[in-house]
Amino acid sequence: MTAGSESTGNDTVLSSRILQHFYRDSVALMAIASVTEKEEGVVRVGAVMATPANLTILADSQMLPEGLDATPDDLVFVVRAEDEETAAKALDLAEAGLTAVQDGKALEDEKPGTIRETVVDAARDGLTPNLATVSIAGTYAPIVVEQSLRNGMHVFCFSDNVSIEDEVRLKTLAARDQLLVMGPDCGTAILDGIPLGFANVVSQGSVGMVAASGTGAQEVSRLLDLAGAGVSQLIGVGGRDLSEKVGGIMTGVALDFLEADDETTVIAVVSKPPSPAVAEKLLDRLGRIAATGKPVVACFLGLDDKDAEGTGVVVRGTLEGGAIAAARLAGHKLDITDISGSEPIRGKVLGLYTGGTLASEAKILLKRAGIDHEILDLGDDQYTAGRPHPMIEPQIRAERIMEASAEPGLGVILLDVVLGHGANSDPSTPVAQAVMKAREAARAEGRELRFVASVCGTKRDPQGLERQRSILKDAGIIVAETNASAVRYVVAATGAAAAEGEK
Amino acid sequence: MSIFNEGLQVVNVGLPLIVEGVPSGQVTQLDWRPPAFGDAEVARLALALDSPETDEANANAIGIVQRVRPQLTRVRPASEVVPGIADGRMLLHAGPPIEWERMCGPMRGALIGATLFENWAETPEEAESLLDSGQIKVEPCHHHGAVGPMAGVLAPSMPVFVVTDPSDGRFAFASLNEGLGKVLRFGAYDEEVISRLVWMRDILGPILDRTLQSFGSIDITSLIGQALSMGDEGHNRNVAATSLLTRRLAPTIAALEPSSDAIAVLNFLAGNDHFALNISMASAKLSMDAALGIDKSTLVTAMARNGVEFGLRVAGTGEQWFTTAVGPADGLFFPGYGPEDANPDLGDSAITETMGLGGFAMAASPAITQFVGGTPSDAIAATRSMRRITLGPHPAYPLPPMNFTGSPSGIDVLKVLDTGVLPLINTGIAHKTAGIGQIGAGIVTAPPEVFLSAARALAKARGIG
Repeated sequence: MTAGSESTGNDTVLSSRILQHFYRDSVALMAIASVTEKEEGVVRVGAVMATPANLTILADSQMLPEGLDATPDDLVFVVRAEDEETAAKALDLAEAGLTAVQDGKALEDEKPGTIRETVVDAARDGLTPNLATVSIAGTYAPIVVEQSLRNGMHVFCFSDNVSIEDEVRLKTLAARDQLLVMGPDCGTAILDGIPLGFANVVSQGSVGMVAASGTGAQEVSRLLDLAGAGVSQLIGVGGRDLSEKVGGIMTGVALDFLEADDETTVIAVVSKPPSPAVAEKLLDRLGRIAATGKPVVACFLGLDDKDAEGTGVVVRGTLEGGAIAAARLAGHKLDITDISGSEPIRGKVLGLYTGGTLASEAKILLKRAGIDHEILDLGDDQYTAGRPHPMIEPQIRAERIMEASAEPGLGVILLDVVLGHGANSDPSTPVAQAVMKAREAARAEGRELRFVASVCGTKRDPQGLERQRSILKDAGIIVAETNASAVRYVVAATGAAAAEGEK
Repeated sequence: MSIFNEGLQVVNVGLPLIVEGVPSGQVTQLDWRPPAFGDAEVARLALALDSPETDEANANAIGIVQRVRPQLTRVRPASEVVPGIADGRMLLHAGPPIEWERMCGPMRGALIGATLFENWAETPEEAESLLDSGQIKVEPCHHHGAVGPMAGVLAPSMPVFVVTDPSDGRFAFASLNEGLGKVLRFGAYDEEVISRLVWMRDILGPILDRTLQSFGSIDITSLIGQALSMGDEGHNRNVAATSLLTRRLAPTIAALEPSSDAIAVLNFLAGNDHFALNISMASAKLSMDAALGIDKSTLVTAMARNGVEFGLRVAGTGEQWFTTAVGPADGLFFPGYGPEDANPDLGDSAITETMGLGGFAMAASPAITQFVGGTPSDAIAATRSMRRITLGPHPAYPLPPMNFTGSPSGIDVLKVLDTGVLPLINTGIAHKTAGIGQIGAGIVTAPPEVFLSAARALAKARGIG
């Protein structure tokens, strides 16, 4: 590119720019000239390929700069303007006109709804996405997660089978930019009131949650909804975040968010007990947050309940306990009414759960009560064996209920029904049908089978909490308010039977 | 508090179930496919390679490539200008390196023809035994700054287009296009073929050279830029560029050479729609070689086929070839021929696609859209998909149907791996038996394997993985 300018007698300047070996059709060049000419202070613009004929035309209109060194393959811009600065600007504008179309998105006539295949495509298309939700095979998930982080997005990673090394690397990367990596193997989050993955429709409120478990987060959040406390944010971190290797990197970032949040007045951390090395650091951090006046509940499944003396952190060992404590700190009372008048239960206690953390809670409570039990998490890989999770496809559990009914020593089956986004549209019906058949089958052998369930849901869940509870009740299932309450019923009934036996 | 100050905008990669609760206006569902053609290891390497340093190297590389303005200056015997070709008995061929023994029919035929043309042998049998015995060296055109379509065979006595970049004095070369029918580049070597080559050597070449010396050099970028607005795509359709070139040179030819030879030359140009192809190829070669060896760059600098293997070169790995077996093109066949007759894909002409012409400029060429589905909108879709794997539009190659956006130019290995979109290459289809000639034309996509190998090598060179 070469440029030149010269002053002319009549108070104007003539500036030129040559783009060597640069072809544009004359119509396109005339359009550029006409647009550039409209600029203030610009008298005249020529934009031509420097052919002899075109140079003659420039000369005829006093637009040919002296000694212009251009060949017919060169593109020439000539601007006559009031001053040098205006002329230079006009030349820039004219040159930009050559490529303006290339940048103009509107002119790409990209059809709406264009399929985008990569995170980078989506980020490039001016959508400014700020969250990537990833549920592809674990082999590829780290790649997509990293691409998303590089594009400044938070990530909700439902995919599992991601190595712990990748998890540490990606979370470290994210933490550097204060981005969230929820997961891998994260089932639940509610961000700015919007549910992701498996989440109940809970009211916006004042308890901010950090959850390393899926159904644990669901049970606590829906109970906070029931209490009227509501949830400000529910940030999932994945089941391994508080392990020694990951070291709670994402729990730390999530706490940063919640600590800074004015709408969050209480913080609840829901997890199985952290590894000892992480627990110390985490409790220290939680204690410091509590000291600032934002009370903290550490709902670490299986730990002994402990109130805030000393550390400033309320520790609860069950989901129900955690929810009650958090609600109370947020100024709401949560009363769980247990079902009374339980008939004695004889025989083995079996739990057929779809929610992993609900299963854990049941185990903990039964163990504390010293009652023999077998609690299965049917969402575990060994039971799904490639089929969809039983929260999505309840048939797996219906089959299990039928199988169990043939077990001679069985007395009671504990069940959970999880509602909300992501879950089956009518999870209770297959359970109810299976229960009725199972009861019949047992009766035919002269045995009485009992069924106790709870529904993890809210009034606003798409499946309808009351409707789902009614379906269970109509099938003769005892429906408790919470999973813990259901277990207490079983404990009481089993205990009653034991007492009877002693008579 | 809001975690998403400007409101949540989700990109969903995977199950729609996960975003069931998100208002539909705030979700973009990706049509996601595993990256790197399903090779998770390479996908990771590619991600690691995708760094600011790579971006910088690529911006530098594509800038250098797009600034090259190749000039057609001379037409000289290869022996005079092509480096190394006159060292002993040597013939050049298309594509990545391949031994005589493994070559496909058309390439063997072309080498036999070139041996006869050079008078190194009296009979085809004698030529074959010379080639068998290794007394004639065979090397890729690409190793000598040259390119050739189909078999791409270049012999020392053949005239070549001399293309140069005045800013740095580099050169690139290409053979002169013989036209269609029975021609050497499809492996034919009978009397008709050899005598045409002799005429090209003795008459066409010298006349064009004198013409260029008198007329001055031709700016190829402008020539092709203009041809793109006249319906060429610079690879399979060259009628506009050939016409523009002929129109420019004809008066000089007529003035300089008032003889029957001049008439024969003009007739030859008038009858060969693809004459400008080889100029387009040499121009692309000169441009792409400007990026050869740019450290850390993942820009593709050459794609070439030898009828057995497809070869890829990448800026950051210099002169190394990444190769894999190549299949025949999917295309339209002349009456009487079908896919069973087709030779695996052949020729250096994919250098035009490497540059951003041919299949990449499909939108410019409504006349040949049958190759990509039949309608101009299919052609536009083809060009648009090539944008996803290229570093940027070529400013000197605006495509009218794309609102004059430059043709997508500069294939990025990482983008190919990320999107799974493979470069589209327009190509002629040769009969697998030497000498029968062109039996069709169509589209091929570059094979995924070469991009996987390139990523592995690029990563290794940077100590990644």
